[in-house]
Amino acid sequence: MAGWSSSCLQHIRQQLSRALHTEARTPSSTSRALDLIRSQPNQYVIASIAGKKYLLAPKDLLTVPRLTDVRVGDVLSLSQIHEVGSREYTLRGSPDIPTSHISVEATVVEHTKGKMEHIFKKKRRKGYERTIPHKQTYTRLRIGPIHVRSQEQASLSSS
Amino acid sequence: MSSSSRLIAPLTKPVFRAQLCSKQANGHIAFVPQVRKLVFEYSQNWSSSTNTRTYLKNNLQNLARANPHVEIVVRQRANRQPIVRGLYLNDKEKVIPLNGFEVTGIENKVQLLLDSSGTKIKSLKRRTVESTTQSARGIWSGLHDTPFQI
Repeated sequence: MAGWSSSCLQHIRQQLSRALHTEARTPSSTSRALDLIRSQPNQYVIASIAGKKYLLAPKDLLTVPRLTDVRVGDVLSLSQIHEVGSREYTLRGSPDIPTSHISVEATVVEHTKGKMEHIFKKKRRKGYERTIPHKQTYTRLRIGPIHVRSQEQASLSSS
Repeated sequence: MSSSSRLIAPLTKPVFRAQLCSKQANGHIAFVPQVRKLVFEYSQNWSSSTNTRTYLKNNLQNLARANPHVEIVVRQRANRQPIVRGLYLNDKEKVIPLNGFEVTGIENKVQLLLDSSGTKIKSLKRRTVESTTQSARGIWSGLHDTPFQI
């Protein structure tokens, strides 16, 4: 009984301390929001690559349909970043966040193919049957660090 | 009396040695190309190696210049079909026979070896994002007091 009440008190104390540490109100400017996001240990981005949205973190290995105009070892800069967030804060762009505020790079690690699939086609009562072997082509990208820039850094880089 | 007050098990969280190893992230900061060596084996006598010999005479030097990280070896192997072997940093090998291909076909197969990482071919349909980092927002759990860590 005594153990239960002390753990309950500890739980309440943890919740209060977490609430006191984090800013509950919305930040006044984009720069302040980015500072809040950068202050936390881990960030994620939601970005579009080749028309599809992915939730990405640094060091992730992303598999997309084969990108034909890119070579292994090339570094791509993600241009369509819709959202950046951390544990307690999220910044959503409309529709994108400018690259001056957020920059994420992805390195092309390899061009591969998937496992062999055998596509079976048949039209019944017509004597038509085909088996088509097929390997889907993919490109694998390694996501680099997420660079969250404040307004001063953005203005310095633009000037 | 003294034995009852002594602790039986340590109160520290167990540390499993797998979590102490660093996770590989090739390309995160620096990219290391995974292909290290290409070995071309051809026959001087057989006609199935004709296109391979043409490729080796005309295209190989440009290939070597364009890919300085790859060691390229050319070997004669009499009375056999022509092959190209790709050797990778994970000690895996990919062997592709070159009989029946024109010179452009041989170029495509060599490019396939250069683009690959040597890992086993798996189905990539459902493996979109492979992540080794903890999620930034954490995983909600109604059964845990503190946030659930993998």
